[in-house]
Amino acid sequence: MSLLLLFLDELKGYAKSKVMIVLWFGLPLLSFFIQFISPQTLEGMPISSLVALIVSSIGGTLSAIMLSTSIVSEKNRHVYELFLIRPVRRSSLILAKYLAVYLCLVIAVSISLTVGLLIDAITGDLIKNYLDITFESLIIGVSSMSITCSIGIFFGVLVSSVPLAAILSVYLGSQLSSIIILPTFFVEILNPGILALSLGVVITIFIMSINVILFSKKQF
Amino acid sequence: MSKNTCIEFKNVSKNYKELLALDDISFKIPKGEIFGYIGPNGAGKTTTIKILVGLIRNFKGDVLVYGRNISNDWKNLHNLIGFHPQEAGFQEWRTVDHVFKTFGRLSGLTSEQLEQRTQEILELINLSDVRYKKIVHLSGGMFQKLRLGQALLHEPQILVLDEPLSGLDPNMRFQFKKIIKKLRKSEITILFSSHILSDVQDVADKIGILNKGKILTIGSPEELQNSFHIGNIIEIIVAENTPLCENLEDLSNIEYVENVKSSKQLIHLKSDADIDLSITSIFELLIQQKCKIRTFNLVKPSLEEVYLKYVGGKTE
Repeated sequence: MSLLLLFLDELKGYAKSKVMIVLWFGLPLLSFFIQFISPQTLEGMPISSLVALIVSSIGGTLSAIMLSTSIVSEKNRHVYELFLIRPVRRSSLILAKYLAVYLCLVIAVSISLTVGLLIDAITGDLIKNYLDITFESLIIGVSSMSITCSIGIFFGVLVSSVPLAAILSVYLGSQLSSIIILPTFFVEILNPGILALSLGVVITIFIMSINVILFSKKQF
Repeated sequence: MSKNTCIEFKNVSKNYKELLALDDISFKIPKGEIFGYIGPNGAGKTTTIKILVGLIRNFKGDVLVYGRNISNDWKNLHNLIGFHPQEAGFQEWRTVDHVFKTFGRLSGLTSEQLEQRTQEILELINLSDVRYKKIVHLSGGMFQKLRLGQALLHEPQILVLDEPLSGLDPNMRFQFKKIIKKLRKSEITILFSSHILSDVQDVADKIGILNKGKILTIGSPEELQNSFHIGNIIEIIVAENTPLCENLEDLSNIEYVENVKSSKQLIHLKSDADIDLSITSIFELLIQQKCKIRTFNLVKPSLEEVYLKYVGGKTE
């Protein structure tokens, strides 16, 4: 009950935040420009697929920064005390934040991709094979974003300095999220989409579990 | 535990690694009482409060609310307590209304109850005009009132105020104390913490002085004043157009008079002074000296002086 309430609450807050507004409009715009300034394919890779990877990488990094800095700032301003004196689980506070930001991000990336695909459809470049590859890229993108967001929360919970949380989220967040596609370079039989999704879920659950434990041990 | 006891701390201790924040403290607060909890910064006030509101769970001893141990029964007791934290902020994107909605729902209020209580509280704390304003646009005083508002939202039977007046201007302090006095009528039990005695002395029924994790004394403001003897002072005010006395130093020759400060027109008596005898002697001498006396008061030690004596500060 409190998780749903907190999730809707956080969603309301993040959906109106400046970073999210940039993502809502910026990513589709980016997608639009990439479609027009790039050649139709890059070594066999459709532009929509490239768009999916670029926007999810940018979106994931920005979200990780937003999550880490907002958690550090809220910790420093003692925001959580008023929640924790009520029947609210600490895990719900963290999960609500993660789910709210991740949902906003997935929507922003989906809009960007839809823009790309629509342009492809209008210009007659939409090929079924490309659609599959683009969908696969989307899966890789959202899996990677999921890891990045959980890493953003990790640094938010762990450190007390806003700039440090932002720097760590940028550098380590994007680096670590890319590990989900690494195995496909070495084992060709693996389906990159399925592998990314599986690894994304497992790694996210693992990091979020650590986040919940760390947050539960915090003294407010 | 008496039937009337609302809050009871029994031998409560708390360590932060090697720092002993609370050292075996015990006290009771009866139902409907305003308990002023004072002590210098770092005395352990906030730790006591955080234990009571459930933010600190690992401590030694027992804390009972209406006879029920908060360590075992927190799920049922949290709704009895409203907490005004010293520093807690709100997320910047929230409006005043949104703060009330979130915390009201988390406290288990229904939509109807929430709307009714929001209106009542906004009226009480005088924030109705800014109900839909973002909290980043509120002044410091309004922000402090909002903290109080969220604490009162679910009609708690116990209100815990941690330094509620810090950083407020005199007008806001007056308004805040007025609200607390209004709350007294609803028989709510209030634990009011501050490091400034004057913040609590005109609203508290009892005052507990805490220093270095130990409760030094508990009593009503009058009891505290009477219990701690720091010497009596006689204050004399004479008519402006006459000097106090031509030979004021003669007063020093009276038995029990310790020192005379002519500039302040104050006479300090020795701690073992026979007050009646001293006053008669002083009066006689002043009349003999042809002093035009306007007022002649026996000044008792102020609570501030009592407090400073307890916590090791210096009085002027």
